[in-house]
Amino acid sequence: MNLTDSPQAPRLTVEDLSVHYGGVCAVSNIGFTVEPGGSVGIIGANGAGKTSTLKALMGLVPRSSGRISLGDQDLSRTKARDMVRHGIGYVPEGRHIFPGLPVDKNLLLGAYARAWNKGTHQQLDEIYDLFPVLGEMRHRLAGALSGGQQQMLAMGRALMSSPRLLVLDEPSMGLSPKLVGSILDVLLKLREDGLSLLLVEQNAKLTFGVTSHCIVMENGEAVMDGSSAALSRDPRVREVYLGL
Amino acid sequence: MKTRLSGLAAIVIAAWALPYGLGTYTIHVVNIALIYALLAIGMGLAMGISGQINLAQVAFFGVGAYGVAILTTHSGYGFWAAAVLALLATIAIGLFVGIPALRMQSHYLGIVTLGLALGFINWITNADITGGADGISGIPVPTLPGIDLSSEYLYYYLEAVVFAVGLAFGLFVVHTSLGRRLRAMRDDSLAAGSMGAEIPLLRMTAFLLASFYGGLAGILYGGLIRYVAPETFSISNMFILLAMVIIGGRRSLVGCVIGGIGLTLVREWLSDFSTYAQLGYGVVVVLMVVFAPTGLAGIPARLRALRRHRRGHRATRAELRPFTAYEPVEDLAQEPGLLRIEAITKQFRGLRALDEVSLTVDAGEIRGIVGPNGSGKTTLFNVISGFYRATSGTVHFAGTDTTAARPYVLSLSGMARTFQNLRLFGQLTVRENILVALDRTRTRAIWRYALWQPGVIAQERRLRAQADEILDRYGLTDFAESPPAALPYGIQRRIEIARAMAARPRLLLLDEPAAGLNGEEVQQLIAIARSIRAGGTTVVLIEHNMGLVMSLCEKVTVLSSGKIIAEGTPREVVAAPEVIEAYLGDSELSELPPDQANVPQQDRAKEATS
Amino acid sequence: MQDTFQTLVSGLSLGAVYALVAMGFSLVYRTMGLVNFAHADIAMIGAYAASTFYLTSKLPFAVAMIVAILVTGAIGLVIERVLRPLENKDFDLMLIGTIGFGIVLQAVAILIWGTTGRAVPSPLASAPLDVFGIRIRPYDLLVMGVAALAVVALSFFLSRTKRGAAMQAVAMDHEAATAVGIDVGRSNALAFAIGAGLAALAGGLVGPMLYVDASLGGALGIKGFAAAMLGGFGSINGAVVGGIAIGVLDSYAAGHFQGYSVLVTFLLFTVAIMIRPTGIFGERTVSRA
Repeated sequence: MNLTDSPQAPRLTVEDLSVHYGGVCAVSNIGFTVEPGGSVGIIGANGAGKTSTLKALMGLVPRSSGRISLGDQDLSRTKARDMVRHGIGYVPEGRHIFPGLPVDKNLLLGAYARAWNKGTHQQLDEIYDLFPVLGEMRHRLAGALSGGQQQMLAMGRALMSSPRLLVLDEPSMGLSPKLVGSILDVLLKLREDGLSLLLVEQNAKLTFGVTSHCIVMENGEAVMDGSSAALSRDPRVREVYLGL
Repeated sequence: MKTRLSGLAAIVIAAWALPYGLGTYTIHVVNIALIYALLAIGMGLAMGISGQINLAQVAFFGVGAYGVAILTTHSGYGFWAAAVLALLATIAIGLFVGIPALRMQSHYLGIVTLGLALGFINWITNADITGGADGISGIPVPTLPGIDLSSEYLYYYLEAVVFAVGLAFGLFVVHTSLGRRLRAMRDDSLAAGSMGAEIPLLRMTAFLLASFYGGLAGILYGGLIRYVAPETFSISNMFILLAMVIIGGRRSLVGCVIGGIGLTLVREWLSDFSTYAQLGYGVVVVLMVVFAPTGLAGIPARLRALRRHRRGHRATRAELRPFTAYEPVEDLAQEPGLLRIEAITKQFRGLRALDEVSLTVDAGEIRGIVGPNGSGKTTLFNVISGFYRATSGTVHFAGTDTTAARPYVLSLSGMARTFQNLRLFGQLTVRENILVALDRTRTRAIWRYALWQPGVIAQERRLRAQADEILDRYGLTDFAESPPAALPYGIQRRIEIARAMAARPRLLLLDEPAAGLNGEEVQQLIAIARSIRAGGTTVVLIEHNMGLVMSLCEKVTVLSSGKIIAEGTPREVVAAPEVIEAYLGDSELSELPPDQANVPQQDRAKEATS
Repeated sequence: MQDTFQTLVSGLSLGAVYALVAMGFSLVYRTMGLVNFAHADIAMIGAYAASTFYLTSKLPFAVAMIVAILVTGAIGLVIERVLRPLENKDFDLMLIGTIGFGIVLQAVAILIWGTTGRAVPSPLASAPLDVFGIRIRPYDLLVMGVAALAVVALSFFLSRTKRGAAMQAVAMDHEAATAVGIDVGRSNALAFAIGAGLAALAGGLVGPMLYVDASLGGALGIKGFAAAMLGGFGSINGAVVGGIAIGVLDSYAAGHFQGYSVLVTFLLFTVAIMIRPTGIFGERTVSRA
């Protein structure tokens, strides 16, 4: 499909990223690298600063400090609305679909940064192949979809921008285990297609299943960092995040 | 205190001496300015203090003035009798105009009140009894034995006394129980409701106060000018009144007074260039809104904050002190079923957020409720604490059926809660946040403001002593005068618990109290929660942090997709296959029904209002 | 019966104007979440501008109208730009800011055009048509026609064009809209300009029906707001239905209560909105408290 046609994302490097809200420090000096075609996960409890990290990366909250580069391009000052033009697709926490617009409009808006033409509609069909339920519901208002369908819509919308790197914020939130399973399948397929992934999750198990490398965040700081396989065997991670 | 008293004395002497230095025209302008200052106080009480967008203030002014005019010239009443009746009429109209506030807020309320004001203007311009466009002249001079009030100099003293008493009363309201509740309602009406404030009654009170001051101003205007005509009460005057309040500072009554007096003087001064003056007000309002939303009155505080910011935080030596444990209660009341939830279902437009949930919490327990994000935990809290009405099922608290009880009723009967995303009153200090929750009186006790002020003062003194005690217990004394938003997250979380406990509840609901806390703070939280329970308060907490739940709770309930899937000791629960599957995210095992529990989180707060 | 129909017809043409005001108001609300209290005064400026270009500059009525729409569109851009720092932050402050702009616009109108108003002759001077005994002025038909066209054009823009879709997306979720690459600021500016243009259209059209002076905004605006509320804030269909409802109510009240028509209109409106705060096609949540 179209996603594989686009070249792989260059390496994403984030260094010393910090976020302050008023006087409160939400994220301090986070750094990580997503290799071309690689997949990185960030896990941690609610309030640990995971979402703030992603939002700062995307430019949706002001970055107090930090360098972001994609290949040899410096994105440290890039505005949120231009990130998508650099091939970074974003699936926000809690879906954030456009509830009052129909499913197909939601998806088309994913391709807002490009001209809408025949290719766009072809891409739409590819999304419907990936998520058949969206095809069935294409004329329904997005707000009337179930949570799982909304999550698929949010992912489909991000994919419509033909991203080379997909940034996902808690795609498993509020989904039943079965749906989490199908999200996992889609993510694995996208990874196979060569898409780079950056995944923020509370569900450590899902994260370890999709990513090759992980960061554990607590209180805005990275407290652990390593390969997903090694972290999933770490006794402390097992106790706190897997509850084992 | 001494400087304050001497400052007050200086103002009194200056006010007393003022007329001696002024010409007849200037004293007239001063008299008008005082009337607008009174109007602005009423406007500030409704808009700035209570957050009610009331654009009918000019109509209240008109009802007062026309009331006096009609009752004296048409019905033959004496001035003072007419004044009392006119004031009552204004309050009645004020309460009528306030009724829509029970159903709508913000811009909706603005448009409705503006529409009703327009209706009033339409009536006075066309009715026979109001003299139509010509208005009513020949209002008699108010009589006071020994004082000739037809002299504007002497009338000034009458006004000055009314104004001083009015301002003092306004300040008294703002800084005591009623005003605190009004401001809490403005900042967060949901949280205020869960602290025992009756929101509908408070909204009506805001309109009552606004119309009371509007009526007073109208009566004084009638007695001063002795002629009323529609143009005084026009919509453009309404907007100038608004400009006064915004420029002066809507959240400070003194600011409103400064705006009212200042703009009246400027308007008189520029009366030959009135259009340019109007242009100026408009521009200043826009600039104020964008650059100085707290108005002139807010500028000193902003400067102070700026200076503090520049000097860095090192200058402040405030620190969070350790928590002092509650005195353990010897025999914990072993009351089984303090909270009994039976088959609660909550449906949101096609989404079943809670599906036949039943659980019982005994007195003296610390119960944990866990489950994945979106599994319905917060919805359950919202049903228990009266924010949501369950679609079906019943809730019993302390033996009474509270399924349909409003949050304030539950608060007064001993239930308190915290919120996932912190709902502190942002414009109140930490101390005032605590004081709002400490205040256990029914809202209708505000009758004392009219009839028995010493009772208010005595209560205030009692509450303040208790607040000091709570601030001290939770180690928050150093932050008592700060606005909570400026404090670190961990401290804000502790303030929220302190505020909830200030209500001395029998049942405390904690919604993700550990979110965003560091390891040390989590340990402190555990100690606080244990002590709260030992002190006789039952605790139910929603948590994600399994470590916290394991070490704190004797019994854990696990929700998934709006259903209870397990209940038992932490060890039992963690071992249950359903829990591993649902909460810990093992996808291989799953053949559960598809998703049912997706409450759009951002809508929760909105849906729960009024 | 004849009387009722006559009232209905005159209510419809005034209602069409209220619907236009309400539409512009709703568009800005729907896309920016801003209640623009200056909207009424923009309509008043539009009325003055259109009548000036028509009467003084002797432009054809349609051309005068277009120039007026451009002028007010520019005013809309200025207002949006100044208040942009408050967008998505403080709803009530932004509302007060637009009231401030309203005060400014009224003063500007008085400075330019003076305090005495003007009567604008109808551009369609032909005699009223007689349909089954009901007299219909051709100009009323023109107003209804233009309003209908505006409704169709706006609906087309919102539902069929990329920009229109983006504009609605911004209103629903500005953060997600930013993430898909929409320039939220520019989208809002465009929405505000279109809203102001619609206000000017309403103002220009109402010129020959009412007397044009600086207080025109007050009368036109508050009824336009009421129409938007009655129909349901943010709904274009609601604006049309609400506008016609207020127009008919207004002309009925004028016929039966003469001088008290405004009072009666707003009392009835208040009762209606108390019963159903969300209006006919209203948004889900009302209280933003």
